[in-house]
Amino acid sequence: MTTTTTELRHVGVLGLGTMGAGIAQVLAASGRDVTVLEQDGARIAAGRARLEASLDRDVARGRTTEAERAAVLERVWCTSSLVDLAPVDLVVESVSEDLAVKRAVLDRVAATVAPDVPIVTNTSALSVTELATGLPGPERFAGLHFFNPAPAMRTVEVVPGLRTTPELVERLVALVESLADKIAVVVKDRPGFLVNSLLLPYLNDVVQELDDDLATAEDIDVALQLGLGYRTGPLAMLDLIGLDVHLQATTALHAATADPRYAPPPLLRQMVADGRLGDKSGDGFRTHPSPAASPRPVSPHDRSPA
Amino acid sequence: MSTPTTGPDGLEGRDPRTVAVLGAGTMGSGIAVVMARALHRTILFDVDEANLQRGLDTVHGFFDKSVERGKLTAPLAAAAKASLVGTTDLADLAASDVVVEAVYEDLALKKELFGALDDLVPDTTLFHTNTSTLSVTGIASGSRLPERVVGTHYCNPAPLMKLVEVADGRHTASWARAATIDFLESLGKTTVVTKDRPGFIVNRFLIPWENSCIRALESGLGTKESIDAAVLGALGHPMGPFRLLDIVGMDIHQQVATRLYEQLRDPRFFPPPMVERMVAAGDLGRKTGRGFYDYDDTRLFGS
Ligand SMILES: NC(=O)c1ccc[n+]([C@@H]2O[C@H](COP(=O)([O-])OP(=O)(O)OC[C@H]3O[C@@H](n4cnc5c(N)ncnc54)[C@H](O)[C@@H]3O)[C@@H](O)[C@H]2O)c1
Ligand SMILES: NC(=O)c1ccc[n+]([C@@H]2O[C@H](COP(=O)([O-])OP(=O)(O)OC[C@H]3O[C@@H](n4cnc5c(N)ncnc54)[C@H](O)[C@@H]3O)[C@@H](O)[C@H]2O)c1
Repeated sequence: MTTTTTELRHVGVLGLGTMGAGIAQVLAASGRDVTVLEQDGARIAAGRARLEASLDRDVARGRTTEAERAAVLERVWCTSSLVDLAPVDLVVESVSEDLAVKRAVLDRVAATVAPDVPIVTNTSALSVTELATGLPGPERFAGLHFFNPAPAMRTVEVVPGLRTTPELVERLVALVESLADKIAVVVKDRPGFLVNSLLLPYLNDVVQELDDDLATAEDIDVALQLGLGYRTGPLAMLDLIGLDVHLQATTALHAATADPRYAPPPLLRQMVADGRLGDKSGDGFRTHPSPAASPRPVSPHDRSPA
Repeated sequence: MSTPTTGPDGLEGRDPRTVAVLGAGTMGSGIAVVMARALHRTILFDVDEANLQRGLDTVHGFFDKSVERGKLTAPLAAAAKASLVGTTDLADLAASDVVVEAVYEDLALKKELFGALDDLVPDTTLFHTNTSTLSVTGIASGSRLPERVVGTHYCNPAPLMKLVEVADGRHTASWARAATIDFLESLGKTTVVTKDRPGFIVNRFLIPWENSCIRALESGLGTKESIDAAVLGALGHPMGPFRLLDIVGMDIHQQVATRLYEQLRDPRFFPPPMVERMVAAGDLGRKTGRGFYDYDDTRLFGS
């Protein structure tokens, strides 16, 4: 699994959330040293727990070994102090999806690392070019967009901004190809890049048709899984992504494009408002709380076997 | 209706019905395999003698291959073949318990067939239509008893794909739908229940999806290779959109998309201009050796 590399050997990752933890794992598994910047000790602890849980799953599934798990954890070093990023060869920004938050942390990081160190963003819905403006050296800035969960999903979008140098694009493609089982796809800096520009309208369409009673959530998923061979049906996929995460992304793309296909369907908004966020809240389109734990009244006749 | 006590692969405890399959083309021959494999008395009907023979050969070929691959025992294959007959005479369908219609996608033709069958078969016979893009209600209106007509949309290749989408027409009776679902499940199919709306579930989402991928290609968002690779690696699809279109065939995609667009008037269903160009150029996909990609052979599903 481990491939040793001399290129971009020491990577700084900003944010140890859902994506940051996955990206740190993938980079460390390629033999690189990873320094992660988080806001405070509590978030570092939460992020490391996520990283460990992900590695545990990989060990359980035979995707990695105990020894490799230990090596990965050893190569990921977490800090809440900016100066610790000074020696890195590459920065991967994966903090919360908020332009102001990203701008603030990118400004400080750009002033800390060497002026020729590439800085890439994992943003899903913001413009790479827009994030680059105002940074010293926008030509060293690009998008490097992983999918959730980062260790499992093969595609990584490499997104040049208007000023990104071709050399950096090449180096990022080579970086992705040095990661176990990943494929680099170079895409334009358009809202949603490539995959999300296709996926989000499709998911919205499914939610609207569900609300329009085309079929049950389960039957829609089963039809697309059996009919088209999809590994996951769209509604289970939304539960996995997080309904709030999808709502935020599609709202941002709608604002950026005024394309009605991105307009969040009413049912999606309602589910999020009701706290039904999918797997993480234990209640979504396909995930439901067990009847015993349900705050909603459930008649004994409605209970189906778990 | 049929209540077998074992799965579709067992011989014992069967409750064989008489099933007529109308149309011996791609879908009709596949559906005939499904019926004969479950040892229902299967009658394959076509107006065209040559097409009927080709369909019967396809069914027999399928069972021979299944035996070669160890998927079916020789006695079971022989029994399956023995339970299939072909005819070009509609009168031979008089004893049918279930009729599955898979003739050309033509409303008048399908209505007319159901109307003619009304006079031949008992009033309790179920009428199933495999239409992809026409309305179940419209087809059912050809029968004096529209309550017995149910949409049962199989996927191609029918013997291998487990999914059948079930859709009621406006006047479908609940007994007909329930009996249909029981029957399909006794065949080992997985049913989903949907509405009589253009495209049911699968085509309803597949067509706009494929169109949006074609538009992404047209607008330079990626190459066919990069879009296929990105979708494959990010979404858990078994193949990228352009590989799939090459298998489906651009002519078929154009036909289905256009028919759905005509009913829905939603631009997402309209095939982008590239589709018409590819069809005009004869670049239909694997079957012509060239579509989005080039192919050395024109077999549809490998060996
Ligand atoms: N979740 C997904 O499905 C997904 C997929 C692809 C890309 N993305 C993108 O990845 C990025 C991160 O998303 P996520 O889902 O991991 O979010 P998250 O909320 O799980 O994690 C974000 C982390 O960033 C930390 N953070 C915030 N400000 C910080 C700062 N100034 N310095 C250091 N750390 C800071 C937060 O404490 C948090 O732990 C976003 O840009 C998102 O759009 C998300
Ligand atoms: N091909 C697919 O992938 C697919 C998938 C699902 C559903 N369908 C639907 O299944 C139906 C059949 O499609 P196909 O691809 O098998 O078509 P096909 O062209 O392969 O076969 C149609 C057959 O019907 C016969 N036929 C025509 N008029 C007839 C009549 N009056 N009586 C009896 N037979 C007659 C023809 O001779 C031909 O053999 C269509 O409604 C289509 O929309 C097709």
